Amino acid sequence: MWRYILRRLVMLIPVLFGISIFVFLLMHLTPGDPALLMLGEHAPTAQLEALREELGLNDSLPVQYWNWLKRAVRFDFGRSLRSKKLVTREILDRLPATAQLATAAVGISIIIGVPVGIISAARPNSWFDNIAMIGALTGVGMPAFWQGIMLILVFSVSLGWFPSSGRMGGWQYLVLPAVTLGTAATASVARMTRSSMLEVLQQDYIRTARSKGLPRRAVILVHGLRNALIPVVTMIGLQFGGLMSGAVLTETIFAWPGIGRMVVEAINNKDFPLVQGTIMTFALLYALVNLVVDVLYAFLDPRLRVRYE
Amino acid sequence: MEMDTSIQKSQTSRVLKQLFRNKRAVVGGIVLIMIVLMAVFAPYISKYDPVKQDIRNRLQPPSKDHIFGTDQFGRDTFTRVIYGARLSLRVGFTSIAISLVIGSALGLIAGYYGGILDNVIMRFIDILLALPGFLLALAIVAALGPGLENVVIAIGISYIPSFARMMRSSVLSIRELDYVSAAEAVGAPDWRVILLHILPNSLNPIIVLTTLSLAGAILSAAGLSFLGMGAQPPTPEWGSMIAAARPFIRVSHWAVTVPGLAIFTTVMCLNLVGDGLRDALDPRMKNVG
Repeated sequence: MWRYILRRLVMLIPVLFGISIFVFLLMHLTPGDPALLMLGEHAPTAQLEALREELGLNDSLPVQYWNWLKRAVRFDFGRSLRSKKLVTREILDRLPATAQLATAAVGISIIIGVPVGIISAARPNSWFDNIAMIGALTGVGMPAFWQGIMLILVFSVSLGWFPSSGRMGGWQYLVLPAVTLGTAATASVARMTRSSMLEVLQQDYIRTARSKGLPRRAVILVHGLRNALIPVVTMIGLQFGGLMSGAVLTETIFAWPGIGRMVVEAINNKDFPLVQGTIMTFALLYALVNLVVDVLYAFLDPRLRVRYE
Repeated sequence: MEMDTSIQKSQTSRVLKQLFRNKRAVVGGIVLIMIVLMAVFAPYISKYDPVKQDIRNRLQPPSKDHIFGTDQFGRDTFTRVIYGARLSLRVGFTSIAISLVIGSALGLIAGYYGGILDNVIMRFIDILLALPGFLLALAIVAALGPGLENVVIAIGISYIPSFARMMRSSVLSIRELDYVSAAEAVGAPDWRVILLHILPNSLNPIIVLTTLSLAGAILSAAGLSFLGMGAQPPTPEWGSMIAAARPFIRVSHWAVTVPGLAIFTTVMCLNLVGDGLRDALDPRMKNVG
């Protein structure tokens, strides 16, 4: 198992290296002079030139990349052009808000998605199943940014139950953003649980358990669920990419102070170091979560566990 | 060759029959056709201009003259939404066309030739996969600058990995089959084997993927425009309409609600048709997604 994890970690290096070139080039191909952006249109030429020299903008691209990479591997992405704070500091300051939002969204998707999927699979094509699956399709097709605004319209503007933006502490602030972010994930988890459960329920060992005279409920929950949940765990892990994308939109709508909203602001401000740092953070988190999911998957499925040992 | 086409015909009719038996897919297809027709005939359906402002009539609720009310500049919401369908559909189709062509070509080459070429292509794909699709598109638009053309390029690139991987795996399974070995044995050139034998037989999953990706592309494009990275006002684009009308939501929500419903309906119908196609074309893929 450890060898497998180690091998996966080593395989991450070239991918992160590749994405670093990509991120570096993207920001350097962008029209616009960072020095000019930092000092403003009317800055004297000598001052601009000094800053360009300081930022290393006069070096050739490969040299600039090498210097950038040497610092990036130590999580040093320089300072934000706007706030002048360290990019790493900015990211660490904003990360907890995003983590809280994502955790709440995953929680919703498990608490609602898994039971709905089980009941749907236990009674396929029943009215419950039909309504649940139409609901799941709705959840997948709903634009998150629009859903967020609709929730604000109903629950903040009309009913006044929850605040429409910010994160002043208090769980009330978390409800609407978490529901918005969690909807698509809930829909996918429900669909996956249902199809995985349906497949498991056709297996021989389920028929054996039934013919032993075990009650249907016990068969579904004990024999069925345990086996059906393996792909569901992967599914929940795979939601992470969607959650990261969704966080960008959700945080923007609800003025939630996480890294999703920060990257949008950074792009609009042409704050290159901050954009580079955030995108690299996203890539790293995404890679690590995918690794954890794969390991967990192997851990849960004895057939796979044996292969890795 | 004659036999080939008759087999193909019977397969097509079987697939269509199965597709038409799927009620959800049929409903999705019909609504989708209606959306396309509305987009095409937009100038004949509405007498209003989608861009010209009429400040005196701003933020009106639905009425006989404006069935979905007016927006913050007094423009007819319904008109802007049907003109918006033109943009969203065009953006969706062009971006997925980019990913379809480039992704499939990369997948074909990687799968058919294998070896170093395969390795180089797939490592490149891994790099694109290092970020979730929407974030990759966001990063690319950030570099290229805001605008609808750049959104098309960005979304096009972000869907290349799905097509490349799908194509590669289906080529890998096909190239071992006897009729491919037979074609190679009689000395058919590579391009002939690829174009005549491998490509036609790996089309089914690609068709399904294209339909489902279209839904995703339209959703992403609207999201990017909502963030201000795509279509710029006054262009009647669904995502940017929602962003622009949002500050006025307490006065009148129609200019936000209706474009959102339009995105939702289009995406949902594409998903329904895609699911139906998947069940009809490739029963093995039933559990994917």
